[in-house]
Amino acid sequence: MLELKHVKKSYDNVTILNDINLKIEDGEIVSILGPSGCGKTTLLNLILGLTQVDEGEIIFGGEDITNVPMEKRGFNIVFQDYALFPNLNVYKNITYGLRNRPDISTKQEVEDMIDLLGLREHLNKKIEQLSGGQKQRVALARTMVMKPKILLLDEPLSALDGVIKESIKEKIKEIARDFHLTTIIVTHDPEEALTLSDKVMIVNHGTISQYGAPEEIITAPQNNFVKEFILNQLQIKRNNIFALFHQDFTKEAQAV
Amino acid sequence: MIRKEKEIKVIYTLVLAIFAVFLAVPVLRLLTESFVGESGISIANYVEVVAGKGFLTALGNSVKVSLASALCSTVLAFLLAYTVQYTNLHKNFKKVIRTLAVLPMLLPTITYGFAIIYSFGKQGLLTRLLGGQPFEIYGFWGLMFGYVIYTLPISFMLILNTMGFIDKKFMVVSRVMGDHAFRTFWQTIIRPLAGTLAASLVQCFFLCFTDYGIPASVGGQYDVVATVLYNEMLGSVPNFQRGAVVAMMMLVPSILSIALLKFLERYNVRYNKISEIEFKKNYVRDGACAVASTLIILTVLAIFAVIFVVPFVEEWPYKTNFTLEHLMDVLNDQSLFGVYKNSIFVAVCTAFLGLFVTYGAALATARSKMGEKFKAVIDGIALVTNTIPGMVIGIAFMFIFSGTPLQNTFLLIIVCNVVHFFSTPYLMMKNSLSKLNNSWETTASLMGDTWIKTIVRIVTPNMFSTILEVFSYYFINAMVTVSAVIFIAGARTMVITTKIKELQYYTKFNEVFVLSLFILATNLAVKGVLGIMDYKRNGKKEK
Repeated sequence: MLELKHVKKSYDNVTILNDINLKIEDGEIVSILGPSGCGKTTLLNLILGLTQVDEGEIIFGGEDITNVPMEKRGFNIVFQDYALFPNLNVYKNITYGLRNRPDISTKQEVEDMIDLLGLREHLNKKIEQLSGGQKQRVALARTMVMKPKILLLDEPLSALDGVIKESIKEKIKEIARDFHLTTIIVTHDPEEALTLSDKVMIVNHGTISQYGAPEEIITAPQNNFVKEFILNQLQIKRNNIFALFHQDFTKEAQAV
Repeated sequence: MIRKEKEIKVIYTLVLAIFAVFLAVPVLRLLTESFVGESGISIANYVEVVAGKGFLTALGNSVKVSLASALCSTVLAFLLAYTVQYTNLHKNFKKVIRTLAVLPMLLPTITYGFAIIYSFGKQGLLTRLLGGQPFEIYGFWGLMFGYVIYTLPISFMLILNTMGFIDKKFMVVSRVMGDHAFRTFWQTIIRPLAGTLAASLVQCFFLCFTDYGIPASVGGQYDVVATVLYNEMLGSVPNFQRGAVVAMMMLVPSILSIALLKFLERYNVRYNKISEIEFKKNYVRDGACAVASTLIILTVLAIFAVIFVVPFVEEWPYKTNFTLEHLMDVLNDQSLFGVYKNSIFVAVCTAFLGLFVTYGAALATARSKMGEKFKAVIDGIALVTNTIPGMVIGIAFMFIFSGTPLQNTFLLIIVCNVVHFFSTPYLMMKNSLSKLNNSWETTASLMGDTWIKTIVRIVTPNMFSTILEVFSYYFINAMVTVSAVIFIAGARTMVITTKIKELQYYTKFNEVFVLSLFILATNLAVKGVLGIMDYKRNGKKEK
């Protein structure tokens, strides 16, 4: 279990995050959702260990890891822009971490991961030859080979097109389920957050606005921000799509 | 920050130490030296220099000829760049222009002067072809001619580069809005270029003002600041204090021009996107550009033609039969061929040391989380090295390292070159490094890399092209520079350019041209090899 207690972070006297408390159970997919500038990326960096907290504690598996450096925490991240190494081919990217820690994954496990993410045919390609979705899967594979205790994903879907988006969503779910892996996702898109995760944490102005399962958020929004910005957006989308399909249905009915 | 970045701090400290010892201390020493007189610290030296007969005239001459040259260079460079970027001429023609226009950079400026003498002198190659001397070569016109050839490539690259970043779609917008052709030209080409054109003027002015090679050969009785400075320091009646004053005075326009450059940066227009369009068919425009560009390029080539002719005839201009005698003489003369080997050694060492210093400095500013103030120090150093003329560095080194074990060593020349040419390659490095993905170091460290490992395995391979460019920049500049090394090269550490200056005294021009050809051939070879290396690695990517 990952637990944050009274975490606070500010830059140059501007408070970015204030008194953040949260618990994430093992194997859960949790989305951190909020508008840009709300502090969600900072929160991700705090958990990763890239950024030091000003106040409060981070506890993982009963251990205080607040002052444990990033590379010793055993978490891993896929950045929004993937940060793949263009001088190495796909296979070398995936196995990069094994050069430093050869025992972390067996040959078979690497092969399985390659198949799971459908990368077999791309192994010898250069990074620049890949599409956005393929890059995302390579980055995922590279991270998964390191067997992270927690997987962090920074806006994993925002650079992808519609259909690819859905397939990557499924892959993320599959991985989290198969490996019983705690996965924390940062996103600004309510639809993504609510359809992808077990729990959604809505952040606004550096505080947690609401934290709960998707149905709770839909049925019992706790405040105006959740209602206005999160639910309203989804309702507009729903109405548009309904209107679209309703039109089609009536046309079909007329034709018959 | 949890990551301590110990390595980068060590590198940062080393870089700072180099510039403290080899830039700050010498220049401060120069400054104090300029105030030291028989009666202690005073401005007496300054008064003496300014009131002295020749100085103000020389200053006036310098400003006049530098301004005229800068203006001429920028106009010609614009023409060349326009031909490459805005006409429908064949791409091979454009390629030829691009290649030939920058050719003079591969030769030392001191050679330009001798080339002009042998082209336009009383017995010059071109004088004979034209049937008369087109202008008096010693003095204003010779200087201006040399300066224009010297600065044309730099101005051309500057303008060509900015033109490449102008969104050409705006020409279409301007036309559909009903603009007249001239207005379109003004709004979509000249206006976005204004900052760069001004920058080119300033940069060319600065280069002309501080160059020593050209006045050394064609200055004649027409004194400029650079010649005054040389005579004060190494002339028949040297006066180091007065020399220090002249050096400080030379710094003034340099500082002004760099301040102006900084100021002009804000006039640079940035487009979000660069799109190419098909240019309107216009045979008059294309024809005129082709003729003008060809003329410019041919003129430059014609002047350098003598370098290929004079050393291969028995005795110019009287016995013009072909001979390899002079070439063989140089090859067999240990004192001359040894100098060539010295030059290569210095250039290779400069390139490697320069590579490490600029890479380290750029890593600290572009890829570390050090405070902005620390980074600003390195940027400041880059600005300062861009401001300080080579002659001033050379003289400062002369003051501070005479009598130390460093005097007359190759190490001193190498470090001097590294410091002198730091600015441009540093900015090249910084620019490329900051374009690389920000998360690589974090990602790799999560994969168990140490920082050094990531730099070696990931960052450096992706910097390959830039590393080659920086290497070539340092190498070529080390081969052709004369201004700083002339003050610190000793008998044992003579390099080609300083040897050429010496040969001038004995009017051994065959040797001058043969050595110049060596420089040209070496630089071409290095450029060629680096080009092939880059091509092999990165394939046929357009830059």
